[in-house]
Amino acid sequence: MPILPRLRDPADRIYYTLVVAIGGALMIYFALVPVLGLNVAFHFYLMLWITMASAFNVSSGFSGYLPFGYVAFYGVGAFTTAILVKKAAFPVFLALPFSGVAGLVLALLFAPTLRLSGIYFGIVSLALAGICRLVITNMPEEITGGSFGLQLGSRAHPVQAFYVMMAVMVAALAVILWLSRSRLGKALRATRDDAEAAEMMGINVPRVRLYGWLVAAFFPALCGGVEAWYTNVVDTETAFNTLTTAKTVIYAVAGGLGTITGPIIGSVVMVWLDELIWRQFPLLNLLILGLATIALVLFLPRGIVGTILRRKPQWRRYVP
Amino acid sequence: MSAAIETRGLTKRFGGLVALDSVGLQAASGETLGIIGVNGAGKTTLMNCICGLYRPDGGDVFIAGERVTGQPPHVVAHKGIGRTFQVPRVFRKMSLIDNLLVPVLDRRASSDAELTERAEEMLARMQLIGLRHNYAEELSGGQQKLLEMARMLMPDPPIVMLDEPFAGVHPVLCKFMIERIEEMSGAGKAVLLISHDLTSIYRLSSRVVALNQGKIIAEGGVADIRGNPAVIEAYLGA
Repeated sequence: MPILPRLRDPADRIYYTLVVAIGGALMIYFALVPVLGLNVAFHFYLMLWITMASAFNVSSGFSGYLPFGYVAFYGVGAFTTAILVKKAAFPVFLALPFSGVAGLVLALLFAPTLRLSGIYFGIVSLALAGICRLVITNMPEEITGGSFGLQLGSRAHPVQAFYVMMAVMVAALAVILWLSRSRLGKALRATRDDAEAAEMMGINVPRVRLYGWLVAAFFPALCGGVEAWYTNVVDTETAFNTLTTAKTVIYAVAGGLGTITGPIIGSVVMVWLDELIWRQFPLLNLLILGLATIALVLFLPRGIVGTILRRKPQWRRYVP
Repeated sequence: MSAAIETRGLTKRFGGLVALDSVGLQAASGETLGIIGVNGAGKTTLMNCICGLYRPDGGDVFIAGERVTGQPPHVVAHKGIGRTFQVPRVFRKMSLIDNLLVPVLDRRASSDAELTERAEEMLARMQLIGLRHNYAEELSGGQQKLLEMARMLMPDPPIVMLDEPFAGVHPVLCKFMIERIEEMSGAGKAVLLISHDLTSIYRLSSRVVALNQGKIIAEGGVADIRGNPAVIEAYLGA
């Protein structure tokens, strides 16, 4: 049985060949990281950021929303796994799906804000993330661990967590790949470009936006859960750190929103750059990274992949 | 037999401004109804009320006899209305093919390949097939108007509304568009045509409605409208 479906368009054949080749190479590489004794922590976070940036791309690149409070899903996912494991004695593998569900529930609670657009949506989303953090901070200490947070004790298993993170990344990329070629993906893009016109073309805009929003919320919540397991500790300070949103946005924008490869390449380049700068200039890490980001935005405002496709529009059909 | 599209007493206010004042009109299948009026007469507001973008303050809209007043635009679109816009509203960061697929995304009975094939046929009719993989934002203004027209026709709606299709368009392209509009009415569609270009309106329309300050000031055949003193006054002043 052929790996690729029967495709009448040669461009589609190239597209899916690239998907299988790049995806396969990435999977083999990541799968071999613990086996070959490479830096597990670095690659764990690389996969985490690829997933976060790719899921953010659904919200921003596909749907046109810029949620400045994106960390809320991540933080709620982290606390869901931690509370279920520590307080309800759930096995980690059973607790993790609940993190995703918690992300979906939070997305539904935030759904009324999808009526807003542009900067107003971004600011409200930031405020809601702050509210989430306050709510969890002020919950009884016996549930969330108060200012000390929750420690998962003997549950830590970095290599297992690494492979679960890999599975989450592969699932996220597969869903986004499907979405980008699906009717829902086209409806989302039309809504992003002109919501009123899309509605007059028969698109149920609120419903389509909600679907995109749910996809964008599910994966960061899972990432939060897996990271809680990996680091073995969760507290509100780190789980709801705005730097998580900032990095997600920067990595996605650096690669180029609206494509699948953009956030992947953006994450690879920026995480690698971050690591390099941190090693060479540990005290000036954030300053230099900030300057690098400014340079990137100034010289490649559409991101790496976006700029390439701008210059070579004929490649658009082939690049995932 | 009911009209393909009908409005009764349609009224729309923006604060103290009455944009539409009890407008009643109807168009039958195969008929082109021209709607003329100076800027601010209420022509586009009328279209926006019909397609559900604006909720009218009074009156009703009927499609094939079914009341659709106040229903959301995507529901009204599925009743069989397609439209274009005065300033083209294409999906800028989508290919021409994808632009055309948007109005038919809910057609589960048709495969993606079938819909893409139809989209390519439509683009070929509009002489845009060579650009089918370009982003819509890369087209000229006139080409964007053609793309909108193709997109509007993609689901084969029985009613089409064209808002200033000839505005800012080269005469050669205007002629091409006029032929396409004639094909639409020839195919049995009810066409509502808004234009400042009276020559085109008079050529294409079987009946004309003249609006001024939200009210219908004249209605009838082309000859009636041409010589109507109220229309002449509205266009040229007293």
